[in-house]
Amino acid sequence: MSEPKIIRFKDIARAGDEPLVTLTRDDLIEIPQLGDAPDVQSPQARWLERYDFSLDGFSDFDLPKPKTKEEEERLVNGFLRGLEKLFDPQSNWPFVKIFRLSLDYCVRCQTCSEACHTYIGSGRQEIYRPTYRSEVLRRIYQKYFTPSGKLLGSFVGADVEVNAKTVWRLLELSYRCNVCRRCAQVCPVGVDNALLAREIRKLFSQEMGIAPGELLKKGTRQHLKAGSSTGMTPAAFKDLVEFIEDDIFAKTGKKIKMPIDQKGADVLLIHNAGEFMAWPENPAAFAILFDAAGISWTLSSEAQGYDGVNYGAWFDDVELARVALRQISIAKELGVKKIVVGECGHAHKALCVLADRVLPGDLSLDQIPRESCLPLLWEIVKSGAVKFDPNKNDFPVTLHDSCNVVRLMGIVSPQREIVKAICKQPVREMTPNGVWNYCCGGGSGFAIMNSLNFDQWRKNVSERMKIKQVLDVFNDVLDPSINKYVIAACSNCKGAMRDGIDHYGLWDKFHITYGGLVDLMVNAMADLPQPYIEFGKQG
Amino acid sequence: MPFLDYKGTQLEVDEDGFIADPALWNEDLAKFIAETQEDIKDLTPDHWKLIYYLSKYYKDFGIAPMIRKVCKDTGFELKYIYELFPSGPAKGACKVAGLPKPTGCV
Repeated sequence: MSEPKIIRFKDIARAGDEPLVTLTRDDLIEIPQLGDAPDVQSPQARWLERYDFSLDGFSDFDLPKPKTKEEEERLVNGFLRGLEKLFDPQSNWPFVKIFRLSLDYCVRCQTCSEACHTYIGSGRQEIYRPTYRSEVLRRIYQKYFTPSGKLLGSFVGADVEVNAKTVWRLLELSYRCNVCRRCAQVCPVGVDNALLAREIRKLFSQEMGIAPGELLKKGTRQHLKAGSSTGMTPAAFKDLVEFIEDDIFAKTGKKIKMPIDQKGADVLLIHNAGEFMAWPENPAAFAILFDAAGISWTLSSEAQGYDGVNYGAWFDDVELARVALRQISIAKELGVKKIVVGECGHAHKALCVLADRVLPGDLSLDQIPRESCLPLLWEIVKSGAVKFDPNKNDFPVTLHDSCNVVRLMGIVSPQREIVKAICKQPVREMTPNGVWNYCCGGGSGFAIMNSLNFDQWRKNVSERMKIKQVLDVFNDVLDPSINKYVIAACSNCKGAMRDGIDHYGLWDKFHITYGGLVDLMVNAMADLPQPYIEFGKQG
Repeated sequence: MPFLDYKGTQLEVDEDGFIADPALWNEDLAKFIAETQEDIKDLTPDHWKLIYYLSKYYKDFGIAPMIRKVCKDTGFELKYIYELFPSGPAKGACKVAGLPKPTGCV
């Protein structure tokens, strides 16, 4: 491993297209079980002229580089205007307090850096420290918005120049953090560097309309227009549900009608719509379990009501509010007692946590409570209404904790109690686990960001620590004759696991696969004629 | 967005070669995309069966069908679809059938 390059904060303003850092396989942390991990692919030559790769040689932004002085000025002015608004309680009332405190109180101890899977996974590259991005922002603020910084500049540490390169590199850098908030958890003074990363994204989106295409144009905007970020219309949703009902019958012999738009049901179950498309066995498993347990529930076929995602959670408060308001009003119209969020971490974060911060008046908890599915699933197991036979799940299982469900919301034991009840072998705990888990590497939109060569950064850097943990936890049973299952009760985590398993060849080499928790529960149901999980067939 | 030379006109595509405007799609364009973007010289009747199926589903529902449904409705196994379109059902077949790149958490 080569020594990481020393990079100063003011280097972010450096002229030219040369990246501040260039990563090769040898820079990244080693994964001993793999021998030679795949090498990092460079961007295609034809992209280099058109797009900006000057942070680290990776990008998701297929936006043309500024060509004229005017275009560069527009970028700089937009950025400074947006930054000012982040400090304005009128513009940024939901987050201004923690934003200011996080900028004011860092004691530069670097505890957060050692907690960051991306920093460590990258071989400790300076620019991926949680504090690098924050300190750049802090110095810009000092230089342009404080009297001492304006007057004394670098004498008081206000030495980061804002030019078009600074702005662009900072935009890229705000998308090198999974917003898993492990850094915030360990900070001795409560600084939230992940929130600062999201605030920078927010500045770009809300002030300048700049966000990854997958998150804004094909994300929240498509969600609001078509009904789902997948583009799924209400008609397509109904077609998929019918198909899934047929599939349930073919696999289990159970004739189950998935309830749609049932007024007065107790529970409105909202899935990530990606589940219907990519992992239909997951919403099917929920239907099988809820049916067997006799729960009064419904899905919604209203646009936005069948897609619980809310990509605004990653980059934009206004987009977040638009989507959340629709979801809440759909639940109110149905007259349900509560919303239960399926296996999607960001939907948990958006509906159960952020929505209250952004829309407190409209969303007081006495109107529509919102809950995670995990405690309800544990209730089902505890109630005895469904018979499980742990012998059907006789293979090594580990549990990946979704940051948004576990660290953010503190839901730790229900999923573990469930696994204890439905699996023959004790759950293998990764190190660390629970609220101290590492992110899957796909968090905050990365799992679906595939423009240009961003996937190379995700696969090689942000997913690396999780892949290492998975291999370590199965180290004594790596033999491919033994099937192994990583529980990832979150669509985004599943997307990242699928990506990492494919990139590092974990199925081919070790027979390690992944899937939801409900899938594993249904696999253990005593009255099912055949296994529900098909090893080797996970998409 | 890059452009491809198509019969003397400039056809807008994204960096992965998906056409920007699905309304422009027709059989001739499918052949062109297959050859230039996917390196498939001859489209067999099975290629066309899949292409027409995807194109119709997209016209009806505004979205690509889920893979399992594709397999069931066409009678093709996933492995065979990869033989027909080596980049796979989403990146290969959907691209040739003029569908936009899949979006959302899929």
